Amino acid sequence: MNRLLLSIGLIASVSPLPAADPSPLVRSSEAARVEVIRKVKPAVAAVCFFGGEACGSGVVIDAQGYCLTNFHVVQPTGPVLQCGLADGKLYDAVLVGVDKVGDVALVKLLPREPGKPFPFVALADSDTVRPGDWSLAMGNPFGLSLDFTPTVTYGLVSGTNRYQPPEGKGTLEYTDCIQIETSINPGNSGGPLFNMKGELIGINGRGSFEKRGRVNSGVGYAISINQIKNFLGHLRSGLDTDHATLGADVATENEEGDLSRMLVRSMLEDADAVKQGIQPGDQLVKFAGRTLSSANQYKNILGIFPREWRLPLTYRRDNVTRETLVRLMGHMDRPVEKAGDEQPKPPGGRPAPAPPKKPGQDASPANKLFTAKKGYANYFFNLERQNELKAALAKQGNFADRSGTWTLDGTIELVDRRGDVKVTWAEDADGLTAVTIIRNGIRDSVIPLKPGATIGELMLPQGSGGLLTALYQYRRLLTSWEKGFEAGFDHGGTEPVYPPRADGAAVDSLKDLRMDADVIRAKHASLESKWYYTPGDHRLIACEAVTASEELPCELFFGEYKKTDGRELPHRIEVRIGEKKYAVIVVKTWTLGGKS
Amino acid sequence: MNSLRIGFTLLVGLLGGVATAADPFDKIAEDVNTRTVKLFGAGGFRGVTNFGTGILISPDGHILTIASQMLDTSELVVHLYDGRRMKAVVLGQEPELDIALLKIKLDGKKLDEPTGLDLACFDLDAAAKRELAKPGDWVLSFANQFEIAMRDEPVSVQRGVVAACIKLTGRRGIFDFAYTGQVYVVDAITNNPGAGGGALTDRRGQLLAVVGRELRNSLTETWINYAVPVNARVDIKDGDKTTSVSIPEFVAAAKKGEYKTRPKAIAATGPGGYHGLVFVPNVLERTPPYIEEWEPNSPAAKAGFLPGDLIGFLDGEPIGSIKAFQDAIKKTRPGMVLRVEVRRGDGLQTIELRLEDYPKPTVPKK
Repeated sequence: MNRLLLSIGLIASVSPLPAADPSPLVRSSEAARVEVIRKVKPAVAAVCFFGGEACGSGVVIDAQGYCLTNFHVVQPTGPVLQCGLADGKLYDAVLVGVDKVGDVALVKLLPREPGKPFPFVALADSDTVRPGDWSLAMGNPFGLSLDFTPTVTYGLVSGTNRYQPPEGKGTLEYTDCIQIETSINPGNSGGPLFNMKGELIGINGRGSFEKRGRVNSGVGYAISINQIKNFLGHLRSGLDTDHATLGADVATENEEGDLSRMLVRSMLEDADAVKQGIQPGDQLVKFAGRTLSSANQYKNILGIFPREWRLPLTYRRDNVTRETLVRLMGHMDRPVEKAGDEQPKPPGGRPAPAPPKKPGQDASPANKLFTAKKGYANYFFNLERQNELKAALAKQGNFADRSGTWTLDGTIELVDRRGDVKVTWAEDADGLTAVTIIRNGIRDSVIPLKPGATIGELMLPQGSGGLLTALYQYRRLLTSWEKGFEAGFDHGGTEPVYPPRADGAAVDSLKDLRMDADVIRAKHASLESKWYYTPGDHRLIACEAVTASEELPCELFFGEYKKTDGRELPHRIEVRIGEKKYAVIVVKTWTLGGKS
Repeated sequence: MNSLRIGFTLLVGLLGGVATAADPFDKIAEDVNTRTVKLFGAGGFRGVTNFGTGILISPDGHILTIASQMLDTSELVVHLYDGRRMKAVVLGQEPELDIALLKIKLDGKKLDEPTGLDLACFDLDAAAKRELAKPGDWVLSFANQFEIAMRDEPVSVQRGVVAACIKLTGRRGIFDFAYTGQVYVVDAITNNPGAGGGALTDRRGQLLAVVGRELRNSLTETWINYAVPVNARVDIKDGDKTTSVSIPEFVAAAKKGEYKTRPKAIAATGPGGYHGLVFVPNVLERTPPYIEEWEPNSPAAKAGFLPGDLIGFLDGEPIGSIKAFQDAIKKTRPGMVLRVEVRRGDGLQTIELRLEDYPKPTVPKK
């Protein structure tokens, strides 16, 4: 009891800084630190060539063995590699996804006993990290550790939201990254940066070196985990992901001036921002909820998102501030798959040298989890994600045998009118599907595959952006899945989608509407579409159908799912184009005919 | 049971807001950042850094930084913590303190008019009166190393421990360095490009010292990280006259426009003063500086050397080789009197060597 009082007295006397005897406090904070290290250590990986030769670090982020590292770490190892964990064991591993611009890669460790879960760490919200916070870096610097026990270093976060320009040809660009004095050295690349709760705040990747040689110079950088979260869905889908541009040349208005404003100087013709009404001379105020005030910051904010994501942009023109959603454009040209063009070629023209095979590498079980395909880091995982989704959707009803005539009866609410509506999907004499809508006595019909169909026809009804063509693809997706999209079909990772409020109520900011969804990207003939599924219950909530590339896509938002003959079907479809609502269809009955 | 409770109490104490070694420095970093500026000036080629850091020491916009070549421009630009971009003018510099005083100049206002900026700043005089930090004390460094930050981006914060409070002059000739006073040697890698002029504070964010320049030992290829205490004082030799000046005294005089900025004492590439000594052939990396002879009518001829004397110390600093002697001489000027200690036989002799201008016709080509 006396000792207890003594210790209370001690605590009370050491405010605000321990003066006389700091040792109990020092010891307890030390103990807390040691405990954190003990907790996270099992999930820290030494990324190795097949055979165990060290080449970098990584960290396991879930029980299935998905492990983050740097792209520049797995570049030399190739897709079949091995990772050592602190248990001293070497695990077979396979490359899953890469983000070359962001210098991130996802690999998957294979359990040594089937089904055995891996130790993993939790992801932090790295936006809460502040300069002056403590951090722990772990990994395998200089390949020191032969039993894969990670090295730990401890230090301050020196800066946040740092921009470091690309190191390769447009790749390895560190945007919005975390600057640390915590010592990182060659071999730490790909390893975790933790906060003092042991949550992952970043992936260590590079440093400022200059004249002191390639060792720690007090300035290292970690890719923020929040940026990686934006790409994680893409990485898990085996994609070779790309970062984004707005398609606008943005400059600080007055480099010489007191405070700077970001103005649009010029824009690319095919940029979505142009379609959304942004013009040269507009001042960009906010992007994705963050205020824009400098060139570094603009690159920072833009740099953390994948291509094709839609994000809110606030701009000012003539003292009027507007908010709109813009689709981001990619940096790299999207690869076009051609027969006999499997080997990726660098811009120089020479084929990329294949990493030399290590003894036993061909026998690794990881080979079974790898499928090479252009545009993908590992197509095997893309197929896996497609099949997972397909299996989940099968529980919502079998549509495969419903390839006959479909009808939808209900009401339609247009901008100025409301009335009854009937939509019919039916095959014509040539075996081509015609989609017909009759509302208020007006009839429009489209046969999308009819030779010589004009853009004008495909875009019917007028002002809808191509509702009938979109509905045509909707039925194909439900009945035929990937077989209905001969020109392209894959899992596109994760994208944000902004379903409007069902009551039509306005929101303060478009970000309030945001949901993150799994995406299926599909192409049939020349028609491109995207289909958005909620990650939890795999519900199709939205679709974006591009009928003509120079026009805004038609967007469908599906809601009020109900069972019809054992099949889950939406009973509310909102049709939008850009910022405008075209119509809301409320379905009374669905009739899905089988093949007669 | 008791020990368990003690542990629990300690934990509560830890979470209850008592400052401990594990507390973050985010608040301090945020606060000190408002008192620092990013500087952009001359250079930018051949490894010469054209950016640096400064410390605000008056609400009106007086800035303390190091006396680097970056200041050799009329287009000095300051970025404040909030992103405002302004011009600045050098009020004075003292190479031997390696310190300079700048002032923000607003367009349309005269330099001596108040700027009305009311900036957050450090109280230099109060900081100079504070007790020196001791070896083992924690320090924080705030500087725009590697030009990472622009506009409203905060400067980098690092933490370290004072490893020593010493003079670096013992190694003169190895460190190419003008300042001869006390420095804090820090265990963190603070002195990167652009960090010079940054703030070294204690763990509460109170100003201790000005982060120094990049300094490399040319023999060992190692780099040293140091900062000059804000109360630093040096004796400045000007010919035969010696004056003593501290950073606060320099700042007070420079603020009034009364500090006579002397020409740079150290021209690292110049020949220095003329002595006329001739050494034994310099065949080794570290040939000992044995005197063989001297040029007729040279300062050495008048000083009283003997052939075979071995130079041991120059102005109290050890000289181990002919090269070290030559490097040290480069930092001298004609008119300076050097105290040369030589070993002659078994004893030490102290010889005064008064340097002169190089005789015009016989300027050595080398």
